[in-house]
Amino acid sequence: MVCIRKATIDDLLAMQTCNLFCLPENYQMKYYLYHILSWPQLLYVAEDYNGRIVGYVLAKMEEESNECHGHITSLAVLRTHRKLGLATKLMNAAQNAMEQVFGAEYVSLHVRKSNRAAFNLYTETLGYKIHDVEAKYYADGEDAYDMRKQLKEKQVHHHHHHHHDHGHSHGHAHHHEHGGGCCSSVDAKVSGKKEAKAT
Amino acid sequence: MGASLPPKEANLFKLIVKSYETKQYKKGLKAADSILKKFPDHGETLAMKGLTLNCMDRKSEAYELVRQGLKNDLKSHVCWHVYGLLYRSDREYREAIKCYRNALRIDPDNIEILRDLSLLQAQMRDLTGFVETRQQLLSLKPNHRMNWIGFAVAHHLNSNASKAVEILEAYEGTLEDDHPPDNERCEHGEMLLYKISLLEECGFLERALAELHKKESKIVDKLDCKEQEVSLLLKLGRLEEGEKLLRALLFMNPDNYRYYEGLQKCVGLYSENSHFSPDEIDRLDALYKSLGQQYQWSSAVKRIPLDFLQGDRFQEAAENYIRPLVTKGVPSLFSDLSPLYDHPCKVDILEQLMLKLEHSIRTTSQYPGRAEKEPPSTLMWSLFLLAQHHDRRGHYDIALSKINEAIEHTPTVIDLYSAKSRILKHAGDLAAAAALADEARCMDLADRYINSDCVKRMLQADQVALAEKTAVLFTKDGDQHNNLHDMQCMWYELASGESYFRQGDLGRALKKFLAVEKHYADITEDQFDFHSYCLRKMTLRAYVEMLRFQDRLHSHAYFHKAAAGAIRCYLKLYDSPPKSTAEEDDDMSKLLPSQKKKMRQKQRKAEARAKKEAEEKHEESSAAGASKSGKRHVKPVDPDPHGEKLLKIEDPLLEATKYLKLLQKNSPDSLETHLLSFELNMRKQKILLAFQAVKQLLRLDAEHPDSHRCLIKFFHKARSMATPMTDTEKLVWSVLEAERPTISQLHEKSLTEGNEIFLERFKDSLLHRAAVAEMLYVLEPDRKLEAIRLIEESTNNMVPKKGALGPVRGWKLKDCIEVHKLLGTVLDDNEASLRWKVRCAECFPYSTYFEGSCSSAVPNSAYNQIRKSSENGSADHLEGGETADSLASNGRLEAFKDLTICP
Repeated sequence: MVCIRKATIDDLLAMQTCNLFCLPENYQMKYYLYHILSWPQLLYVAEDYNGRIVGYVLAKMEEESNECHGHITSLAVLRTHRKLGLATKLMNAAQNAMEQVFGAEYVSLHVRKSNRAAFNLYTETLGYKIHDVEAKYYADGEDAYDMRKQLKEKQVHHHHHHHHDHGHSHGHAHHHEHGGGCCSSVDAKVSGKKEAKAT
Repeated sequence: MGASLPPKEANLFKLIVKSYETKQYKKGLKAADSILKKFPDHGETLAMKGLTLNCMDRKSEAYELVRQGLKNDLKSHVCWHVYGLLYRSDREYREAIKCYRNALRIDPDNIEILRDLSLLQAQMRDLTGFVETRQQLLSLKPNHRMNWIGFAVAHHLNSNASKAVEILEAYEGTLEDDHPPDNERCEHGEMLLYKISLLEECGFLERALAELHKKESKIVDKLDCKEQEVSLLLKLGRLEEGEKLLRALLFMNPDNYRYYEGLQKCVGLYSENSHFSPDEIDRLDALYKSLGQQYQWSSAVKRIPLDFLQGDRFQEAAENYIRPLVTKGVPSLFSDLSPLYDHPCKVDILEQLMLKLEHSIRTTSQYPGRAEKEPPSTLMWSLFLLAQHHDRRGHYDIALSKINEAIEHTPTVIDLYSAKSRILKHAGDLAAAAALADEARCMDLADRYINSDCVKRMLQADQVALAEKTAVLFTKDGDQHNNLHDMQCMWYELASGESYFRQGDLGRALKKFLAVEKHYADITEDQFDFHSYCLRKMTLRAYVEMLRFQDRLHSHAYFHKAAAGAIRCYLKLYDSPPKSTAEEDDDMSKLLPSQKKKMRQKQRKAEARAKKEAEEKHEESSAAGASKSGKRHVKPVDPDPHGEKLLKIEDPLLEATKYLKLLQKNSPDSLETHLLSFELNMRKQKILLAFQAVKQLLRLDAEHPDSHRCLIKFFHKARSMATPMTDTEKLVWSVLEAERPTISQLHEKSLTEGNEIFLERFKDSLLHRAAVAEMLYVLEPDRKLEAIRLIEESTNNMVPKKGALGPVRGWKLKDCIEVHKLLGTVLDDNEASLRWKVRCAECFPYSTYFEGSCSSAVPNSAYNQIRKSSENGSADHLEGGETADSLASNGRLEAFKDLTICP
């Protein structure tokens, strides 16, 4: 039904349109460019059979903190394309890449306290836990849950959900030795870059 | 820098530069002024003061000072550099490059200036210049990684990928064996993948593959490494290895269609247009059956076979595919199947299949041949599917009855209302579609998707004010009332621009279209910061792709629509310019003195009110801006919110030409581009350019009614021109004389004959007949009645079809509206236009345009009856709704309780 693949530069305009159509937190094109030109491995799209982008995940690495970790900037799936497990598939793809390419220890995200649907997805399906509450995180004054999921100690496997979740254990065994590099050095950021808020 | 100054002032000068870099502009300004007190003519100080003022929004002073400084010290590279920076800040890149070049003439090895120059060259795609500058930087600082990479990328961009490879290998030669250190593994891996992709681009496939194998352990991005390897193996024809690797990739992500496509290529079962022999279909079927067992969770393995299977096997596969998805209630099922509607045989099978399932569920609550009972929702979802099927087929009556039944079955499912809204839109009742979408919206106020869907429908129904009020419910960003524009919400701006255009409000329409154009200019500008960023970050493949994306940015559909919309506005503005003040005075003079006085008072009051509102808004935003963070840039109030100034331009055709050029460059294969070019150039009397447009139209689609119109109109106009007098006119004539025989539609025929032949070829098509009729009237105005008859004698033929639910009419609503407008305007016959309307109201009973009997335009229509009854019950909807699965919902329900604008 829907193809899950890495995003290319040509997908960015459609990703922005998808974001504007269904989420209240929006970003200018430059912020999408910043993501794909920094961590091209961490952007995934869901493309339907007509070639339309119906969902995406936009993620990044936090490079300024001590612990190398990933962060989900934005995740969206069009309302018309629910019940296909797209959000789960997109999240798994981005999380795998964070761990495999950048050696991320954990991945974080923010979610509105009132957004039960998303909260359930993160806790029940994807294994996130509440790490903290950020008061008045959103522009309209709502609080956010700061949620985290540990990536490196993967004792808990989620076999029942998606078998391809375990792509990392296939073929090449030494992925844990890789990465890390991109987190240890602080690179100059694009000037004028404002950290926009995540979903 | 700051040479020729005594030590104290030289230190102050350094302070100015430092303050500029750290954005402490006031401090810098003070230092500059104290130098200037002693040395009022010091060029570099004047220039730096100007640059500082530029950052404090004092632009004109800035330019004056920088120019003055330069004049006083033409030999200073600092002055030239500053002048360049000033231009750069205003995006005047060509001028900036000139300044940097002058600076470098004085100080050729200045690394800072060279680096700044290289960024501008990349931005402006001055690729030879870029290569030169990067070479210079490398020879000045060969121990910097960035300089090697920059030089290689420059050659790559300048179409010399093999040179780029050489440079990267030379760079690798400078590295120690144990490179990279742990903190550079990612960057180094990216560089290696970039090099391999360059080798692939050069066609050195074996070398690329060997390099990939050799460096595999140093490539961090394993997924990309594998994808790159597959691409190389396929190109090398090493299909068995490719297959093995693709199966490994599928294991990691069985939802990536590209892997399936690659796998088909490897096993020799790939075809561009999906045409396969029976034997190939057998083998494909077997392949996907085995993949399906491996990847039970993948929906791709189940969906792809529907593309190649035929007949009974298609039916079986489709049934197996559809059943569980209907049971589950997957809302996107129909859109997923819709590509199959290009194949008439499959449509018939699908229709019968859907009817069979519906019937079986309705009568037995089971799928045929199944023992288990289906849940009640299965009937609702199968009605939902059928409604969309009939909508697609143009059977709006049946579609509406199915969707109504579904809504009756379960009134809380929002998707049903959205689907009904879409059906009504297709059927031609835009107002009802908007109302339905609003009903859906009110069922879950926290879901922006249904809000956007509703806004879209409102705009289609030309309810712009209501649409904006609705959209804004989701776009409040703190103190900002409406950040749709800041967030580059282009679909919205385009849709409202189009609505304003339909309503004849050219100012507001232009405002919206130009806003979209501005977003594209901003995106082009966005790349600037990344020229240096990506070289540091080593995301080179993404960087080069980004540059190529930028090069074709303006061919994107939204830009095309915006530019075409703007051109149309300018053409309309030219054809009927707004009244000048003199003319308005003239109108006024017809009034009695007392009326005049009243009118003037009214105008003055309105102006004062508008002014006050604007000021209040300004105060509001600046106050809020200051409170939040002292530095926050306050957005200036838009001095022309309704685009009135846009209407007052001198030469609308000149403005239109600007956008036409962009379309010609970026959308040369779009019919619309050349139609607009034709219209514009005919008005500008640019005969040869108009002729070019005609030729392009014939190249793209000689059978299109509009191509025919332009061809006939063009030669008709050429014929009516005066005998050529000037040399230019004579030249134009001789070109046309020489060209006309090469046009196969005309040859030696007269225009009337050409028109008749066109009719003969396409006499069954409504739009072609209309074009012929229009041209007949243009060529011979006294044959107007004949032209009208030609249109009225068109018949709405049935398109033959053997399906279960009867034939489909051939006419499209959109086309009929176009014909109606033609009858009313060009042919200017009220009676004929009325007759047409009555006839179309019968064909399209839901059309508000034709005031069809079922449309909301008619007070007692079925629709309006339903509306009345549903309004009473609408409060119930707020309770239910399937919000649990919606990721888009963001729990804003609380916040919006007071803001509902439900009917």
